[in-house]
Amino acid sequence: MAETKKILLERADLAKAVHRMAREIVEKCAAPSELVLIGIRSRGVHLARRLARKIEEIDKFTPPVAVIDVTPYRDDRRQEQDGAMVGAIEIHAAVDDKTIVLIDDVIFRGRTIRAAMEAVERIGRPKRILVAALIDRGARELPIRADIVGKNIDVGAGKRVNVLLEEADGIDQVNLADWQEKK
Amino acid sequence: MRSLISIADLTNEEIEEIFSLADQAEQLRAARPASGQIMATLFYEPSTRTRLSFESAMQRLGGSVISCSDMKSSSTAKGETVADTAKVVSSYADVLVVRHNWDGAVQAMAEHADVPIINAGDGGHEHPTQTLCDLYTLRKEKGELKGLTVVVCGDLKNGRTIHSLVFALARFGAHVVTLAASGMELPQYVIERLEREYGYGLAPVASNDLSAVVKETDALYLTPKQPHQLALFTQVDEVIQARLNTMASGLRYDAFYMTRKQKERMKEGTNDASYPTIGAAFLREQRFQDTVVMHPLPRVDELSPEVDKDRRGIYFKQAAYGVPVRMALLKFLFDRRHETMPRSRGAAISYESPEAIGPQCRNPNCITSKEPLSAPKRFELFAIGESGSVILGCKYCDHRFKVQYVGNVAAKRYCSYDNTLTSNLKEWLKKDELAIFDSIKEAEELGYEPFKSGPQRVLMGEAEIKQALVEMSGRILSDCRDADRLLILGVRSVGSQLAQRLAMEITNQRQRRPELGEIDIYGSEELRRLNPADPDAGPLNLKDREVILVDDVIYTGRTVQSALSIIFRSGRPQSVRLAVLIDRGHREVPMRPNYVAKNIPSSETDRVRVKLRGLDQEERDQVVMYSLISPVAGSQPFAAAGDEKPAAK
Repeated sequence: MAETKKILLERADLAKAVHRMAREIVEKCAAPSELVLIGIRSRGVHLARRLARKIEEIDKFTPPVAVIDVTPYRDDRRQEQDGAMVGAIEIHAAVDDKTIVLIDDVIFRGRTIRAAMEAVERIGRPKRILVAALIDRGARELPIRADIVGKNIDVGAGKRVNVLLEEADGIDQVNLADWQEKK
Repeated sequence: MRSLISIADLTNEEIEEIFSLADQAEQLRAARPASGQIMATLFYEPSTRTRLSFESAMQRLGGSVISCSDMKSSSTAKGETVADTAKVVSSYADVLVVRHNWDGAVQAMAEHADVPIINAGDGGHEHPTQTLCDLYTLRKEKGELKGLTVVVCGDLKNGRTIHSLVFALARFGAHVVTLAASGMELPQYVIERLEREYGYGLAPVASNDLSAVVKETDALYLTPKQPHQLALFTQVDEVIQARLNTMASGLRYDAFYMTRKQKERMKEGTNDASYPTIGAAFLREQRFQDTVVMHPLPRVDELSPEVDKDRRGIYFKQAAYGVPVRMALLKFLFDRRHETMPRSRGAAISYESPEAIGPQCRNPNCITSKEPLSAPKRFELFAIGESGSVILGCKYCDHRFKVQYVGNVAAKRYCSYDNTLTSNLKEWLKKDELAIFDSIKEAEELGYEPFKSGPQRVLMGEAEIKQALVEMSGRILSDCRDADRLLILGVRSVGSQLAQRLAMEITNQRQRRPELGEIDIYGSEELRRLNPADPDAGPLNLKDREVILVDDVIYTGRTVQSALSIIFRSGRPQSVRLAVLIDRGHREVPMRPNYVAKNIPSSETDRVRVKLRGLDQEERDQVVMYSLISPVAGSQPFAAAGDEKPAAK
């Protein structure tokens, strides 16, 4: 049902949004050397890498990029035993006294970000945590904000926002579709 | 009774003594000095080499071994603390060998055990017997440790053995070259400690020196400084730098110590090419003809099998030395059963908070946060440098952090720590009156007041607060999907009081009382939890609830973050909304309140406090703001102050 799909960002718009986000990250962080980008699996990681490259262009400094898989911290699957949770943390950057930017493609209810903060908290104590998302679709269920946003959209719960990135999907695009269909 | 928790528990002379005992392993085996003795091995984490070599060592000494095949399935699974396990097993054995996944766990067990205890690896903290084996191998192969140049390669950041080894080499006056895989450099605090405690300086090594091992290098040469020759490296001038560079060029490398390449750690940010490897190119290089290659094993592909056949590859020998060294260590400890444990680890002062809420070790894997029952929060207090900062070091895991807020127990006053307070601090410490806090909120929770503050401004009065709560409760009711599922949770103590008032307003508007609870965010893990407001009620059920989290002031956001983490540990609510009386900005974590009575622009030296009737003998409800002033300087404001800085961790 391709006709129900609405394109929100084309390739060029997406590039512009990423560029703007990189600028904002640089502006919000006092010292670039204390910046650490953490991408949330999986599209957040691609975005984090892109942002790191942009930041390098702007600031001549490449921030380290770390990866986090929050699946084990998601509250919706929390009944599993503790032991299984620890192994999946993949942050191998020092976070103590750093400015951490948690990066995801879409921020919606806030549960993923909360889980990511919990994982970061387990490995150290950052000076500051910022949240960057390409798309903020509002309708939060937790009191969590996105500090850096590529685009705000307001859509009903019945819609699905698809962020497609070349690294994973072969195309750069953000579109809106009905929940049932994939992409 | 002597135990071995850290390599720092042994003096250099004692290490030498253990080594000469290890040289006589065959005689020891014949003499069977441990005949009739029992060693218990308690491994909470898997290990083959360490465990087998310990068991072999004990049996060769004529003793016997008891062990538990899997600690996870033992009484630990039923919730027994490590302290109790240590106490109980002490009566079954004459020596305990323990590996644990928590930092500092073995120290905690040693405090409860009645027999000597040997640390066979505690989390990311230490693995002293591995260090002993490494040093013994070097000494066996190279004669003397002093003056050797050892290249430590690969993952220098995560390995528990590598840091112990580097410090031990420094103690014996060896030079160290660090050759880290990208992103796995030796942590700054290790380099700083080498500089501070052992007077080491560092210089970059010419990159072509090590090209047979790694393509690009920013290897560092760490070396003991000759007296009067080199200044502190933090103030290295050109002359000294040039001299260091000369020292680092044309080095004679005595040994390469490879670390295990952990594939799982390599996934992101680094590539295989940046990891140092030893293979044919290394073996061919003329300059490495007398360089031995060590590795703690198991290896992946950082060490090619060609090296196995070469006389320089000594890692299997290194593994074999594990038994004689451990035999020697056991004999050494048995001989000293009647000695007391020397406290040789530095000249720091012990510190334990006299208050119920005190500083927490910041290391999330430390025994003090994993199992506070087994390890009371004990610290060592260091005054560092001219900057006057005071550092607390955890007695269990050695993790260090700066002291931010201090108070006087007798006066019940607190202030932010700065270097003008050094002499006061000493005096309070002497009188046992020194309280240390992780946050101002903790101090206030205990009823402490600031030492000195500026004039007080009233931001909200009684009527205004009442009005704000009425409006807020109206908005909460109109926003919620199902008012019967509302759960009001207040953060202790002021937030909790506000939550009660909010619940009352909601009751007035709806003729039905919403369920009420309290979140305790201070103290160790087990104290931080959710409690129903009515102690007789059953535990709160969070499933599908609409939670309203209530606090007085939002500032850095860390309190809210802690509260959220406690909520999600207890269940899965449908939503959490945040209601605060005051938002004063300066967020450090991305929290946004849904309901705010008043936004107050404030500076970081300001304090905003909500005072409510019924708490701390307040006579009326009001919100006040004042600035904090240093008690000593009189006019000098604090460098930093916070409403709800860390709720620890």
